[in-house]
Amino acid sequence: MPGILPPAGAPWPERRRRALGDPTMREAVGKSTRSLAEKKAAAYAAYPLGEAMRVRAVAARREALGHTDALLEEFTRQVEARGGHVARADGPADVGRYVLAVARRRGARRVVKSKSMATEEVALNEQLEAAGLHVRETDLGEYIIQLARERPAHILVPASHKTRQQIRTLFDDEAERSGDPPPGGDATPELTAFARRQLREEFLAADIGITGGNFLVAETGTLVLITNEGNGRMTTSLPPVHIAVVGIDKVVATWDDLAVLLQQAPMSGTGQLISTYTSFITGPRRPGEVDGPEEFHLVLLDNGRHELLGTAYEDVLTCIRCGACLNVCPVFRTIGGQAYGSMYSGPIGVVLTPLLGGLAHAPELPKSACAMCHACRDACPMEIELPRLILALRRTEIEESMEPPTVRLTFELWGRFWAHPAGFHLTARLAQLGQRAFMQKGRLTRAPGLVGGWTATRDSPPVARETFHQWWRRTRPGSPP
Amino acid sequence: MSRADPADRRGQEQAGLVQEFMDHWEALSGDAWLALGGVDDVRRAVGEAVRAMIPDRASGTPAQVVAWATEELAPLGLPALLASLGCECVWWTDWPGGAAGAGDPRAASAAGPADEPGPAKAAVLQPQELAAGSDLGITTCAWAVADTGTIALYATPSTWRLPSLLPTAHLALVRPSQIVRSIPDGLRLMAEHRAQQGDLPSAVNLVSGPSRSADIEGDLAVGVHGPRRAGVIIGEW
Repeated sequence: MPGILPPAGAPWPERRRRALGDPTMREAVGKSTRSLAEKKAAAYAAYPLGEAMRVRAVAARREALGHTDALLEEFTRQVEARGGHVARADGPADVGRYVLAVARRRGARRVVKSKSMATEEVALNEQLEAAGLHVRETDLGEYIIQLARERPAHILVPASHKTRQQIRTLFDDEAERSGDPPPGGDATPELTAFARRQLREEFLAADIGITGGNFLVAETGTLVLITNEGNGRMTTSLPPVHIAVVGIDKVVATWDDLAVLLQQAPMSGTGQLISTYTSFITGPRRPGEVDGPEEFHLVLLDNGRHELLGTAYEDVLTCIRCGACLNVCPVFRTIGGQAYGSMYSGPIGVVLTPLLGGLAHAPELPKSACAMCHACRDACPMEIELPRLILALRRTEIEESMEPPTVRLTFELWGRFWAHPAGFHLTARLAQLGQRAFMQKGRLTRAPGLVGGWTATRDSPPVARETFHQWWRRTRPGSPP
Repeated sequence: MSRADPADRRGQEQAGLVQEFMDHWEALSGDAWLALGGVDDVRRAVGEAVRAMIPDRASGTPAQVVAWATEELAPLGLPALLASLGCECVWWTDWPGGAAGAGDPRAASAAGPADEPGPAKAAVLQPQELAAGSDLGITTCAWAVADTGTIALYATPSTWRLPSLLPTAHLALVRPSQIVRSIPDGLRLMAEHRAQQGDLPSAVNLVSGPSRSADIEGDLAVGVHGPRRAGVIIGEW
């Protein structure tokens, strides 16, 4: 049984149409992804040690997958030995139940969160709000998204599709709701100052801080948290209770493993050699300490991960959520993150969404949201073979007969027809002759029959006037065909 | 120059690490001061840092500075120095009930219950309010990294978390000998600490410059949640 992901919202054609019809978003996403991809390349070029560590990090991550259960047991023992609590959650409902039980026992009403994909995955905010808790996202981008009641558009830069004018409007509305002075203008310092004031109050008043986690170190029971803004430190230092929700795939064995892994996420994600803040949290506040949480809880989230261990898809669990594959993906650069209908977008989302939520949850992603260009394979610091996994998902989808049998039969016959030279030549000849009727400005924009389904959403360059075979025979008379 | 004196070479290496650490810290929009001439030189640098990092107060009330009450900072005589700069210096101590007050950090350190409570105003403040109301937090660090411009802060009863997080600015004092080459080198020092003390601290924070965000149109903004300014003094004292 796979896990459970939140519903995608609108159906795929609708999401795609909306994305393609939003030039502001597309320009913003195009700009931010290109800039991040360039920064990543520059960081690895400037820091050779980073590349050497990356190679060792890939080995450490894959090695850890081989004994995930033992590492989780060790991690649990270590946290409990220091007075922390560890719970295992099979899916979204388990996480919600656990957090609400802690909240009830503590009489908690206000929750601050630092950015976490795992809690997005289990729709924790919705679960807590339904139970009457006040939940505030504190990462600046997530705060903007929360005010806009939207989903993150990018793993690392959730509000990268929002312009400063849109952000100012959201902040003005929030100021009116809360009775606080609005931002003085739409310059970055003014917007940032408004968020700082608002969120500072939230931090100081919060009863519970909820975070995700970038890594777990089994040998000491340590939670590793990477942020740039400092909201992660606030969330784990100020409220009396800290609850971390972390996927079981984030566990590594030792500090030696972590040492080579730690810088890969910032280097690949934003081109920083290290994030502004990296926190290693080993249990709750100790006797004599005046700050830090009294209670430390770690919720280990499965939600479809465990059953991927030992399968052909296992390597996807080594993902460090850096977003490097998003930044180089031509599809992501064109449609942005929200069209994917999942908190995991881009190439990693195309693979992870159906693997965690079930293929029936998002069959369109492997089928339609990949151009098989392999750019993501080259960008992934963990060397996850994303194109291969996407192909495997396409194949599984066909095999599970989620397509009507006629389509399957058509592809089979087509495959046999083109496997024969005569069939392929005939097709090319017919296309050369017939394509003129379907061309517009030098592109094929329509096509007859089944092929018309393909061109309904894409243009194709025309078939060349001369085929390769014709060219070969013309330029090399006498040579074997 | 066929054979360099090993001590010389170490000295040169250390000087190189200091320079690289400063360069990288400044590249991350942090402020840095060098003060290798002893206690007085470090006190001079603290004065410069305070003047640079705390904005002028129109109201005329003294700026508030919160510092770690540790043996390590004691020789600098910060309370008198800060008073001469027009700042009020507060320390957090682990006295029962949590009192805070101006004074000699040695008297206020974890050594034992002190018999003189701090000023009445400070006595009612929780550590959180104390740090949040401060313009500057002064700490030392456990180690620093040249390659990345990073300082490591260990949470203990006297070296608490909030002075480096809640005040408007944070100033860390770093000794040249604490600067190592890379993050893995620093993590090895952490492993040594664990071997000696029996455990890691409850929290270790690596800090590389001031709080930053690029969430608004990819435009770099400093000081979203944490300190708006982050300074280091590399000094011998």
